[in-house]
Amino acid sequence: MRRFIALAVGFLTLAPVSVVAADASIPVLVPITGFLSLEGTSQRNGALLAIKNAPAGVRVTYDVSDTGVAPETAVNALERAISRGPVTAVVASMLGTQMLAMLPVAQENKVPLVTVSGTASITERNNPYVFRFFPGDAVVKAAHIRYAAEELRARRAALIYQTTAYGQSGRQHLQENAHKAGIEIVFEESIEVAVRDMSPVLGKAKAANPDVLLLHLHAPSTALVIRQAAAMNLRLPIVSGSAMHQPPTAALLEPAELAGVCAETNASPVSGGTPEADRFLEQYRREFNAEPDGFALGQYDGVMMVLEAVAKGASNAAAVTQALSTGSHKGVAMTYRSDGKGNMAHSAVIVCYDGQTRVPRIAKRYDEILAVTR
Amino acid sequence: MLQVLVNSLALGSAYALLALGFVLILNAVNAVNFAQGDLVMAGGFVAVAFGMLLPVPGIVLLPLVLVVMALIGRALAAVAYFPLKSRPPVSVFISTIAVGIILQNLANALFGAEPRAAPPLFAGGLVELGGIVVSRQALAIIAVAAVMIAAQYVLFQRTALGRRLRATAQDREMAEALGIRVNHVIAATFAIAAAYAGAAGLLLANTFFVTPTDGGNYILKAYIAVVIGGWGSVPGAVVGALLIALFEVMLPSLPLIVPGLAGLPGASWLFSQTIATILLYLMLLVVLVVRPQGLFGEAVQRRA
Repeated sequence: MRRFIALAVGFLTLAPVSVVAADASIPVLVPITGFLSLEGTSQRNGALLAIKNAPAGVRVTYDVSDTGVAPETAVNALERAISRGPVTAVVASMLGTQMLAMLPVAQENKVPLVTVSGTASITERNNPYVFRFFPGDAVVKAAHIRYAAEELRARRAALIYQTTAYGQSGRQHLQENAHKAGIEIVFEESIEVAVRDMSPVLGKAKAANPDVLLLHLHAPSTALVIRQAAAMNLRLPIVSGSAMHQPPTAALLEPAELAGVCAETNASPVSGGTPEADRFLEQYRREFNAEPDGFALGQYDGVMMVLEAVAKGASNAAAVTQALSTGSHKGVAMTYRSDGKGNMAHSAVIVCYDGQTRVPRIAKRYDEILAVTR
Repeated sequence: MLQVLVNSLALGSAYALLALGFVLILNAVNAVNFAQGDLVMAGGFVAVAFGMLLPVPGIVLLPLVLVVMALIGRALAAVAYFPLKSRPPVSVFISTIAVGIILQNLANALFGAEPRAAPPLFAGGLVELGGIVVSRQALAIIAVAAVMIAAQYVLFQRTALGRRLRATAQDREMAEALGIRVNHVIAATFAIAAAYAGAAGLLLANTFFVTPTDGGNYILKAYIAVVIGGWGSVPGAVVGALLIALFEVMLPSLPLIVPGLAGLPGASWLFSQTIATILLYLMLLVVLVVRPQGLFGEAVQRRA
């Protein structure tokens, strides 16, 4: 009888453990307002969808903080989140300047930052607590230039980029890759996010007689350039940064204005593809009544990698950091693994619009473009 | 050259409507309305909302936008001015900042953070003028803004309401002593200013889109236009707004207008948007130091 009671007590004590195997605390610190709000909202949605789909037995607590666009707002949000108690991992802003400010705080507190920021320098600072689930500029800008050089046969390029850290970083990688590919940059100019009238910069770009226009701009500026290029009858193929692949950016433009426009990105969920991608698309639409983009998918995959590590026993930030640093994860967009610096994504795609619809087709896929062998 | 000029004028015309509304409130209550930029943003979103409900050209939506924005302006006066009218002007401009932030967050909650586009005034596309292709929307913006600026002139110079508005702006106590219902006149001023900001929002939101955070950029434009044109001067506000657009559009386009400039060393840097912005603010500093009353020389008042 005593043995029966002991077994019963033991069973009852263990029973809840089999339902909730682990807890994870994942603050979501992303720009919901400001010029990066479109991307930040995608980032938030991707993270929330992953939390909703957490592996069985993983219970996630989270809260969402708007980091705006100021670095100090992001740092304050991170410090506040850390001060509330143990944090498993942080979904961190995709704004490069905010990431650069958050990195020392993350390192000091030994908390992994999971982001989709494209700014190259965030993974060039020997900080072991940053994990980027969107191909960095080194990857996407290589694809950007290869598409222009190999598919469009471009030899003279005009480059318009943003004055932000994101823009500067992209410009550097575009220039380096263009040089390697034998493309001459015949015109380049940076523009602030507040600039509305793009006709001067487009007029000067056209006057330089390029055979392709390369853009590396945030979403509003990208849409403005493409609309005004169409209004000016520029008649140049455009290969844009990842902002153009976002459905809300395409929604601002008429399909005809998108004719001849391509963009680099990690993935284009709206373009369809694998059954996993189709399931993601369907669930995202249902949950958020919006169209997903590659940022949402990258962030989804990043948080899922964290949650799967937690499900396998990574019970704190250090264990999750270790799992992200050394493990691999087959996500919806691609298979992720660290290159030793926190760059987890090593594939890129080029999507192009046909001038008839706002849904792009995948024109070219570049896997392991930098030949990462780890 | 013509294309660049048309673009400059279109942008400057929309800025002029914004600056006009800014000056009207400044003159009426002697305080800066920092929500004026957010009213432009609100007008853009009102146009977007009407455009979703009624698939008609923007020119048909314009009267609806003006009415809704006038009501918003009246509400702005009720919450941000009248309860504080006996306090120092600083209270009013802080309360208008608060209203601006409320408008910004309301737009974010209702429409989301992503940019939106309002319908074009008539139709999109291009039109050929003397062999030069220009945007129909840009021409339409210039025409509509010109009509609205003329209407403002007629209202203020040729109507009884305009005389009361001017009398209140010049000397509120005297106007009150003469039997003018000053509070009604001030409320009307807020309504007109908001309607003009809303019109600017509709005009800008097709070509340049609208996002909830646009207000900060626009209020800066209005402030600079009024400082350059002359603090409190209505024609000065219009000229100041056009000058800002000239800096933004014409200066970076100089190598296109004067092809010889493109060959100068450092030309691409010298005629960039970044340098144009720096020069615009340098001009502002020069005006403040050398001609603080602005180009149109109205009496110097305190710049809140």
